[in-house]
Amino acid sequence: MNLNFLVAPDFSPERFAGWHLLNTFLQRKSDLALRLLTPASASEQAALVAEGKADIIYANPFDAASMIRDSGYVALVKPVEKSNEVVIATRSDSPLASIRDLQPGTRVALTDNRDVKLVGLRLVEPADLTEADITWQVVESYQAAARQAIQGNVDVCFLLAEAYHSLSRLTKTQLRPLVESHIADISHVLLVHPRIVQEADKLAGALLGMKGSADGQPVLDELGIPNGFVAMDAEEAEFMIDLMDTLLE
Amino acid sequence: MSFPPMQPAADATVSRPHAYHDGRTATLMLSERERPYPEGRLIVSRTDLNGIITHCNEAFVEISGYTREELIGQPHCILRHPDIPRAVYEDLWNTLKAGKKWFGYVKNLCKDGSHYWVYATAVPNMRGGKIVGYSSVRREPSRRKIEEAVAQYKEMIAAEERAP
Repeated sequence: MNLNFLVAPDFSPERFAGWHLLNTFLQRKSDLALRLLTPASASEQAALVAEGKADIIYANPFDAASMIRDSGYVALVKPVEKSNEVVIATRSDSPLASIRDLQPGTRVALTDNRDVKLVGLRLVEPADLTEADITWQVVESYQAAARQAIQGNVDVCFLLAEAYHSLSRLTKTQLRPLVESHIADISHVLLVHPRIVQEADKLAGALLGMKGSADGQPVLDELGIPNGFVAMDAEEAEFMIDLMDTLLE
Repeated sequence: MSFPPMQPAADATVSRPHAYHDGRTATLMLSERERPYPEGRLIVSRTDLNGIITHCNEAFVEISGYTREELIGQPHCILRHPDIPRAVYEDLWNTLKAGKKWFGYVKNLCKDGSHYWVYATAVPNMRGGKIVGYSSVRREPSRRKIEEAVAQYKEMIAAEERAP
């Protein structure tokens, strides 16, 4: 059986090889012919999903919500200790001392990543800012978002925490985090299409057996998920979706 | 069933009688002290259909002052502060039971008589078309929103006290 394995486009470029290694690992362990799809943007991903090309998908929590509730996708596993947290940072010599100092008209740089924007918006609520109060500047990469803040072209940048922490030491010395989220319950999820649910056990078994194994752990390390995957049952996925729902307004 | 006892701090010197929705009454010891909202975090809890707490996250436990063991199995109204009008909670439960999302500003009571303000969103947990419980997620509100809520709730409580 030939299946497509789609990975949401919000991983760091240095993880690209890791996803190819995971695809190869899963093929070997499951005896399934998997083709890795790495769309370059959220819209490209949406088109592939609409064409029915996502048999297996490592989805961000937003997309996972609609894919589970509207399209019947089944949650298999989620990464351990890798929740989708957000850092809001300003340039190191900025007069901003805390999130509460942000004013209407605040300029924000960020990548085209819905969960970063949503969590970021929740983090600026203590300053009484809404989406309409902010001047948005969407950039191609998280490095570009950081650069915009450092150069003073924007007041703050919204970054996936993982991306912030992976910035070079030099870049980080030029930034100052104002807040970092600690939501913990929201993460990417690996889903399978209902038409291949009979393969779910095989795939889950392969993914859950990676941690600590001779051939699996190096792949996890390459993915930046050193603690591996943990099973996610239907109720846990539903709970995450309920939680996401509360963040929408 | 009775709540785990409060442990009023030294500054919790104001005694307030409080009547719960189920007819129970208690004398609460309150302080004016507000606990700061834990920055960047969500305060999450789940209840069953009867409002009994079945799950709460670490932030919920920490700010409440109770232990997790004290909270699980208790009615959610253990957090109820007498400065929040009855009508707010009635609206919350009526909205949830109708299968809809509720949101609003809430002052919650801690074990030691202090309090904290949240922007709360509560959703019914729909499973297979049925409501099986409720989830509530709280976020940090702005000072301006808190001040607006304080003024509004004072008026509402005054009206409730005037009502026959």
